[in-house]
Amino acid sequence: MSASRTKFYLDKQNAKWSGVCAGIAEYSGIDVVWIRVAAVMLTVMGSGMTLIAYFLIAWFADAKPYALYANREEAQFWQGVRSNPSRSTRDIKSRFRDLDRRLADIELYYTSHNKRLADEIDSLR
Amino acid sequence: MAWEFFIPVFAIGILFLGLPWLVLHYVTKWKQAKTLTGEDEQLLDELYDTARRLEGRLQTVERIIAADHPDFRPAVRSDEELARIEMNRRN
Repeated sequence: MSASRTKFYLDKQNAKWSGVCAGIAEYSGIDVVWIRVAAVMLTVMGSGMTLIAYFLIAWFADAKPYALYANREEAQFWQGVRSNPSRSTRDIKSRFRDLDRRLADIELYYTSHNKRLADEIDSLR
Repeated sequence: MAWEFFIPVFAIGILFLGLPWLVLHYVTKWKQAKTLTGEDEQLLDELYDTARRLEGRLQTVERIIAADHPDFRPAVRSDEELARIEMNRRN
């Protein structure tokens, strides 16, 4: 819980070099291939700024803590949070609403079911 | 004559005042719009966790009820339907 999930990290596990491109892909949710292609293209076509930026990021950013996310779904959820927190909040709200509805279904089933049973017992008397 | 005098003044003005102002302006805007405080993040994390656990438990309960009472046609959803709901939620 101590490590922030909204920070930028170097992704050393999927790194080709220092993990900057993999980190950007992990942060933004864009496929790592496109990030790498864009980085190489910018380096080739533009000035050396991308390379400098790459090394600066590699130097200053922290490596991703091991097991930051329990599974793929959680990683995707936090990608959503980083890009649009309010939508993630709405998402959770809708999940709770769905839970509420399903619980209400169960409650209704049990109350009406028992009522029917009680009616039948009554009719047997 | 006057032009030649003003060009460096403009250039310095734009370089040392205009540009930093622009950058700082957008930096502050970006910070206001995007930051999620540590507390918010923790709260969101807990809520997400709770929702996931509750969903798992509820699904177990629904399966048990469905096994005990065949006429229980609840929101017990098949896995495909759950996947479809999940997809709709994502979109």
